Amino acid sequence: MYSIETVNLTHKFSEQETALNRVNIQVIENTIYGFLGPNGAGKTTTLKLILGLLKKQQGEILVFGKRFEKHRVETLRRIGSMIESPSIYGHLTAFENLRILQKVYGCPKRRIEEVLELVGLARTGNKKASQFSLGMKQRLSIAIALLHNPTLLILDEPTNGLDPNGILEIRELLQSLNQNHGITLLISSHLLPEIEKLVTHIGIINQGSLLFQGTLAELISKRQQNSFIIFETSNDSKASHTINEFSTISRIEPGRIVIPVLEKTKIAAINQKLVQNDIEVYQISKIENDLEKIFFDVISE
Amino acid sequence: MDFINSFQSEWLKKKRSLASWLVIVGAFFTPSIILLARIKNAHKLSELYAADDFWLRLWNQTWESMAAFLLPIGIVLAVSLITQIEYKNSTWKQLHATPQRFITIFFAKFLVIVIMLAEVFVLFNVGMYLSAVIPSMLFKSLPYPTAPIPYLNFLKININFFLDCLPILALQYLISLQFRNFLVPVGTGFVIWFLGIGLLPWEYSYVFPYNHSTLDFFISSGQFGNRKIPPFNIQTLALTYFALFTIAGYVLYVAKKEKG
Repeated sequence: MYSIETVNLTHKFSEQETALNRVNIQVIENTIYGFLGPNGAGKTTTLKLILGLLKKQQGEILVFGKRFEKHRVETLRRIGSMIESPSIYGHLTAFENLRILQKVYGCPKRRIEEVLELVGLARTGNKKASQFSLGMKQRLSIAIALLHNPTLLILDEPTNGLDPNGILEIRELLQSLNQNHGITLLISSHLLPEIEKLVTHIGIINQGSLLFQGTLAELISKRQQNSFIIFETSNDSKASHTINEFSTISRIEPGRIVIPVLEKTKIAAINQKLVQNDIEVYQISKIENDLEKIFFDVISE
Repeated sequence: MDFINSFQSEWLKKKRSLASWLVIVGAFFTPSIILLARIKNAHKLSELYAADDFWLRLWNQTWESMAAFLLPIGIVLAVSLITQIEYKNSTWKQLHATPQRFITIFFAKFLVIVIMLAEVFVLFNVGMYLSAVIPSMLFKSLPYPTAPIPYLNFLKININFFLDCLPILALQYLISLQFRNFLVPVGTGFVIWFLGIGLLPWEYSYVFPYNHSTLDFFISSGQFGNRKIPPFNIQTLALTYFALFTIAGYVLYVAKKEKG
């Protein structure tokens, strides 16, 4: 069952500017979906459309299996969100900010204390939110999103402005919400390292098009497909013929031979054969593309 | 129930805001000036305090600036400040992502503004009363005014002024919801009000909604002079404008492509 599903979601801000082009996102229930893309890729536009903050133009948005525009109010009752910059009333305290939302959601007043404790803002007292640091504002926004015990959290760049310790704490909090409370999370970010330790699924968007969608494991397997062994020898042409005898395909690049990743024993055998054929082997190395590199590869494809 | 919760939520937002301070300052501004003037000239006021039309004279004195200037300008500022709470804090998106119907959000906020206007009226009347009695408490030469307060007449005129202000409130709300920039509703409001003042001598100036309270002041204070009496009740016209502006405001608000 998908918590969120978009079908051919397309959005244009003007005739010339297509913000989203047939985006099909599937966020599976109880998972953490990382929505990745560089700034201006279409992440916030997608999230705003899902929350009804932008008027839908083309495509379908299904939340909890129902068309969003037909069931807007009942759907939003189950969603907690934080879009772009923190949305908080600067002239009010953290408690007062939450009290405003507590009235709307009709949840118990004690939830205010609970979520403030959860995000580490329980002791801010009479301090106005405008005097908070960006990190504190971010935490308060997360508290607002959690206030009514939602089953789906949509967070746009939730770790923006947080220090490394804060990022770690928020990551642990979100992980716990998913694992212990079964909350589905859709989290956008433009930084893969920031969310790769958190998410179970990833969608990569660039220039309004969804370029990759799958599990983190699928993305990691893509990394393995993109790993290589490099040989630097005294005679690349001759060495290439020798390597091909081992049923592998080699590619000659300036100053080196590139082959797909092989088992260690096979690499040793190739090395032995090259030496027997009077080819000097200067270096054997493994090039591993990390997730960051794959992310950039995907968005530049 | 949803509407009451939504209204309470909107009411909380104005705590410590500029708009809530403006209500107090705007309501007590003219009575404070009159009070200071009376304290300064206390020795000349014995005759006034013994006069039979004491309250009527005070009424006309305080309402003159209020009806023509402070109320319309105050409404222009207060409505813009209320909607600016959302713009300034980037909270429209949070508000529109809460499980509330758009009609609830629109009217809950609107009701807060209407009640703030009612607050101004209550505080202004209290201020007017205090500006009359404080000098007699401070100076033995000034007796407590013995002339009876024409409560019913004052209440009727208060209600009329209140109704006169509703179209300004609705139109300013409409504009404030459409533009993020504070200067647009404030500038537009000032221009319309100024234009209205310029058009006051015109025989059809009553068609201008920002003139209603001024014209009503002229009528209630007997200063209407040679102006053409409107062929219909000003409050009926005000309520018609109010309904039209409110409906237009809601339609435009719902039709906004981006809500946050």
